[in-house]
Amino acid sequence: MIRMFDRSKRVRWLLVILIVASLAIITIDYRGKGNGPFEKIGHVALTVLSPIQHGLVAIFRPIGNFFAGFTEVPGLRARVSALQRQVAELRAGENSVAEVQRENESLRKLLGIRDRYNLDTMAAQVIGVSPSNFERTVFIDRGSRSGVKKDMPVIAGDGLVGRVIQVGPTTSEVLLLIDRSSAVASRVVSSGETGLLEGDGSEIARLELFNPDATLAVGDRVVTSGYDRGLFPPGIPVGTIVSAPPAQSNLSRVVKIQPFVDFSSLDYVLLIVGQTAASPSPTGSAAP
Amino acid sequence: MIWKRTLLLVLLSITGLAFETSVFGRATLVGAKPELLLLMVVAVGMSEGPAFGATAGFVMGLSTDLVLQLPAGVSALTFTIIGYVVGRVRSQVQAPGAWLPMVMVSVATFLGELFYAGFNRVLGEHFGALSVLRAAVLASAYNCLLTPFVFPIVRALAARLRPRAAEVGL
Repeated sequence: MIRMFDRSKRVRWLLVILIVASLAIITIDYRGKGNGPFEKIGHVALTVLSPIQHGLVAIFRPIGNFFAGFTEVPGLRARVSALQRQVAELRAGENSVAEVQRENESLRKLLGIRDRYNLDTMAAQVIGVSPSNFERTVFIDRGSRSGVKKDMPVIAGDGLVGRVIQVGPTTSEVLLLIDRSSAVASRVVSSGETGLLEGDGSEIARLELFNPDATLAVGDRVVTSGYDRGLFPPGIPVGTIVSAPPAQSNLSRVVKIQPFVDFSSLDYVLLIVGQTAASPSPTGSAAP
Repeated sequence: MIWKRTLLLVLLSITGLAFETSVFGRATLVGAKPELLLLMVVAVGMSEGPAFGATAGFVMGLSTDLVLQLPAGVSALTFTIIGYVVGRVRSQVQAPGAWLPMVMVSVATFLGELFYAGFNRVLGEHFGALSVLRAAVLASAYNCLLTPFVFPIVRALAARLRPRAAEVGL
């Protein structure tokens, strides 16, 4: 009986020690504001994970794409069942061909946007996403050894993706523009009105316009404004307005933006290293 | 034997994180990802009791924190408490049914997501109440679906490295 009591007491002590250790870590990291010791350990963790992520992505990407397509296009279900017998024989080959085609399409779009906006870029593959449901980031297979630096803008074939927030030797983490902590100076192409585009963790971003009386319409395109020599070059396509309610106050107006980029199926991205002499399209009209 | 169990926790953390960030990052359930490491913590807690459950929670939570931008330590705190509570609750159940792991995983994931978001809110991170509730419900459902596949593997591995009675310190 005494032994059992001792054991129960020890377990409680262990719990207390682990809780105190967790609170100590929270305090140290909170005070360090992203520059504490855990940031460096995080780099090591990402470096250890990256080869495994590479392998898993190569093996499971076709399966993941299959599931993504399955949930997005329910209408395909009937067609698939009708062709099931034929598909069964060719499935392995067909999967790899479809994957190559999709990859090819993605790379062609990347080359297109790079040439259209005269950007000096570096290509990278997306090898992972944040494990949290409260954070919208992706991991790419380029790091400081390839010349990646913090705050480098990242684009995909359809438009702006986000910016680099953490750089390890061989991998980096990119903050997507739909994350809660993302903010991008943007401009509505049709009216020239500017504002700050912020994410809220969902697939839709919000644009807070500086002029509450701005004339806008659903379907208007939004591009980066490049305001005050910001992080992002001007004219990069961001998205379209999907909802434009009237201003709630006299100071600003918030509209909803559907980004051009499908963040759930990012394969390849371009990191903007610099910009060549020619300037980008001022209206962003060549965008998708 | 202790170092073997420590190694097991490290390997489970690395494998779980690699799957969470690659495979399950793409194969989402209506946009939500599962909490694979939390599922593993519940499996360890139910199989090995509150002490090893809390330890597993701390190690796996800290591993998760290292790849997140949100303040480090919050996942460690959340998973530690869950590992301990699950181990305690399991010891009170006299005749556990086959459904118990799925119920425990679902409830633990739901409460874990709420606690994680709530604690981050105290630290100044703001999440919308509806988006937190949505993430908690969907992650809980996703983890419930994964339980029959993940739970037996983790439980078997933990049981295989279970220390003999004489070695048990806690």
